[in-house]
Amino acid sequence: MSEKYGSLIPTGKLLDGKPRTILFDATKCIGCRQCVHACKDWNDHPRTTIYELSSTNWITMEPPVLEGLSPLWARNSCMHCEYPMCAAVCPVEAITKYEEGPVVINQDVCIGCEYCIYACPWGVISKNDITHKATKCTMCSDRLSDNKQPFCVQACPVEALDFGLQEEMTAKAKKRAEEVNGYLYGDKEASGTQLIYVLKEKKESYGLRSVGPEKYPKHRIPLGLMLKDLFTLRCGLPGKLRALYLAIIHPGRLIYRYWPWRSVA
Amino acid sequence: MSNASELFPQRRATRLPGGYMGQLLRVDLTTGSMRDENLPEEPLLKKFIGGQSLASYILLRELPLDAKPYGPENKVVMMTGPITGTGFTPGGTKVTAVYLSPLTNHTLGRGAASGFWAVYLKAAGYDGIIIEGAAQKPTYLFINEGRAELRDASRVWGKGATETEDLLRQEVGLKDAKVMCIGPAGENLVHAAMLCNDYNHNAAHSGGAVFGSKKLKAIVVHGTARPPLYDRERLIEAGLRWRNTLMVRHEAEKRTAGHAVDLGAAPNFNFRSTVIEESHIEGFDKNRVTLRPCFQCQRLCPWDVELKAGKHSGTVGHFNAGSEWLDTFYNLGVRGNDALYLAQRINDLGIECSHFSCGVGVAFEAWEKGLLDAEKTGGLKFEWGNVEVVDRLLDMAARREGYWGNLLAEGPVEVAAAIGGDAPKWVVHTKKGTPALHDWRPHFGQMIREIVASGGMKPQGGGSVNPPPDLKYREKWGPLDRDDPAGWSWSNALSEQYRQFCGVIGGCWFAQMHMKPDGIKSIVDSFNATTGWSFDIDQALEAGHRSAMLQSIFGTQRGWIAEHDWQDVGPRFLEPLPDGKHKGFTIAKWLPDMVYEYHRLMGRHEKTGRPFMDTLSRLGLEEFKEWAQLD
Repeated sequence: MSEKYGSLIPTGKLLDGKPRTILFDATKCIGCRQCVHACKDWNDHPRTTIYELSSTNWITMEPPVLEGLSPLWARNSCMHCEYPMCAAVCPVEAITKYEEGPVVINQDVCIGCEYCIYACPWGVISKNDITHKATKCTMCSDRLSDNKQPFCVQACPVEALDFGLQEEMTAKAKKRAEEVNGYLYGDKEASGTQLIYVLKEKKESYGLRSVGPEKYPKHRIPLGLMLKDLFTLRCGLPGKLRALYLAIIHPGRLIYRYWPWRSVA
Repeated sequence: MSNASELFPQRRATRLPGGYMGQLLRVDLTTGSMRDENLPEEPLLKKFIGGQSLASYILLRELPLDAKPYGPENKVVMMTGPITGTGFTPGGTKVTAVYLSPLTNHTLGRGAASGFWAVYLKAAGYDGIIIEGAAQKPTYLFINEGRAELRDASRVWGKGATETEDLLRQEVGLKDAKVMCIGPAGENLVHAAMLCNDYNHNAAHSGGAVFGSKKLKAIVVHGTARPPLYDRERLIEAGLRWRNTLMVRHEAEKRTAGHAVDLGAAPNFNFRSTVIEESHIEGFDKNRVTLRPCFQCQRLCPWDVELKAGKHSGTVGHFNAGSEWLDTFYNLGVRGNDALYLAQRINDLGIECSHFSCGVGVAFEAWEKGLLDAEKTGGLKFEWGNVEVVDRLLDMAARREGYWGNLLAEGPVEVAAAIGGDAPKWVVHTKKGTPALHDWRPHFGQMIREIVASGGMKPQGGGSVNPPPDLKYREKWGPLDRDDPAGWSWSNALSEQYRQFCGVIGGCWFAQMHMKPDGIKSIVDSFNATTGWSFDIDQALEAGHRSAMLQSIFGTQRGWIAEHDWQDVGPRFLEPLPDGKHKGFTIAKWLPDMVYEYHRLMGRHEKTGRPFMDTLSRLGLEEFKEWAQLD
């Protein structure tokens, strides 16, 4: 991991160091949202609402309609990028990429600066109104360290979700895509993610975002926000001191935050 | 009547077990007042748990003996159970409503629904609702995050269930809100009107009519709470075991004639033929079907459909597990996608399908046999399979329009009496209620279940050829012979107890796979992990038995006797089967003995239906001793 990421993003190991992937097979999905409720149940989030991503609703199934007659269903949640820009821009290094796949925001370290929210190419990070921290799907890293699959995967009643070693899931997804004459998504985007989708139609039909193949996709953190952080006490003094210290010891990270248009990685 | 406050302590002195939100909402529609009631103390909760059992107990304590079904004094008590809405088990979806039944005027009415509504009622902070009085004008109840208010429902009065749901969700501005409502049938006091929720779920057996009599159009619920759990980890483990017992339904099943196939008989032409033909499913193979499961249940019963063939191509329908709404229209000679079209209509209007079918069936048979002509039917041709006429009669019944609309709204017994002649011999009913519309007649267990039910409700039970594997430690019998009545009364009584238990804890009996190893044990373990109690299977069955006993005590108090069970049955229901693989079979040969035996085995007097004192003592129901059989 250290060769791959250097000091760019914090890394860690939960179990055996072998990368895992969630496979979402849109050809089997019935849009029942049991995965959405399961996520809430495991994380003890409020029962509602389930149609919009929020700090307490980490998965949505699109389109946001009640009936089951949509011909296509797409999962919208953290893709657990192999090269996560959210982690690269975090000034306090609160976001860890684990060897097994999960990209996790450490709630104790997050200062609520919102950079990751703007950096995420899929727009799946939300800020909690009460804790003022950024939150998103953790790929159930707490379960993974007990060698259990993510709770959404366990809940799926039609085997549209699967979980396993990355190479096995990728092979399975490719085979399935060939069988249904469909498409893959998530395998090349952002140079690979730890979610892989099997689609029966092109991604545009599902309303899925087009994300280029480059690592650490370019972000659009508003300049005003960054200036505010540099010149005001926003996010608190301890946070600022930590960010300053990290900027000094890991200066290479600053490129990702302030000059994302430059060719990096 | 006992003082209600004895039941609902102002301040709880005992632990609130896991799974409960801790409060009931009491709504007086006459005055518009509402108040929260604390759940009963733990010993009482442990005895009655929730669902039908706790709801019936509350009703028994509070409903005056001289109450009339449509009087403001009738109450509707709606209860979930502790496993409702935990998210960690299949089938944790049930809410049960009880009331004095307008179908019989003297027995317990009960309707139960799955879907999402019950889960969201708990999310709104309540385990149940007690509805009293009657509003002056159309009203709906909106409960959001523990705050309840009564609102004007005139905008949705007269609307079908689906549209009402959409409009009210829109009106409260919450996409996640869940709606339970009545269609026009409930508003117009069609005796068998249903409560409808979540598009494709219906609590049948006249709860809708009682809502209508109270001018209560709907209850909209929304909230973010979840029930506290005693041992979450153990619950997840037990819930997974429960899930592993499920026989998962598939899309392919939704392209068949449904439960008629399992039963080996479909009712055709008012129960005069049982044969299933290719035409029954015409067009089903072309339809677009999506499974639409209830909250966190992997059994996958409900489904949505878009008709892709036939005259009503393009119609969208929402259906649940049973398929009785298919048999409903098969019984009137309607076939294929036309039956699905009409099924969606009847659900939207909110009429219990069997009640309609058994009434129209008699009228159509009377037309065939020359007892009715166009003059008597207002020009409508009462011909088998006439979709337009059935469609028209649905509207007329739901709105009590004209002579036939009124008659059908009353019920099949009234239809037959009005036609006269031999028509009363052609009726299918049990104590004026109607069986869930399947042809149960070839099966001992199912028939004894239908016959002994209160008439105002869907019965539970049905029995099995062998005892459930989880009960083999105590049940040493089987396999039963499907042509010999021996053992079936007990098999049914036993299944009534474990099915009742499943409902009482807030679970769905469609998700209870009693014939699988761990099918009952995993449910009891889920319940224990949720609540912190340690029920064994015997105690679970006893809780189910207690619920069934409260049901009959309610009837006893109001004039029901066990003899009604076999005497007040539509003759057609007891006729030998006319054709098919079970031709000639009838349970009638074994009546009343099977009914007597069933009641004896349940601890009641075989003729009066009153519980024996020792039964009451065993079940901890001594407070009802004045209704016991003393000799």
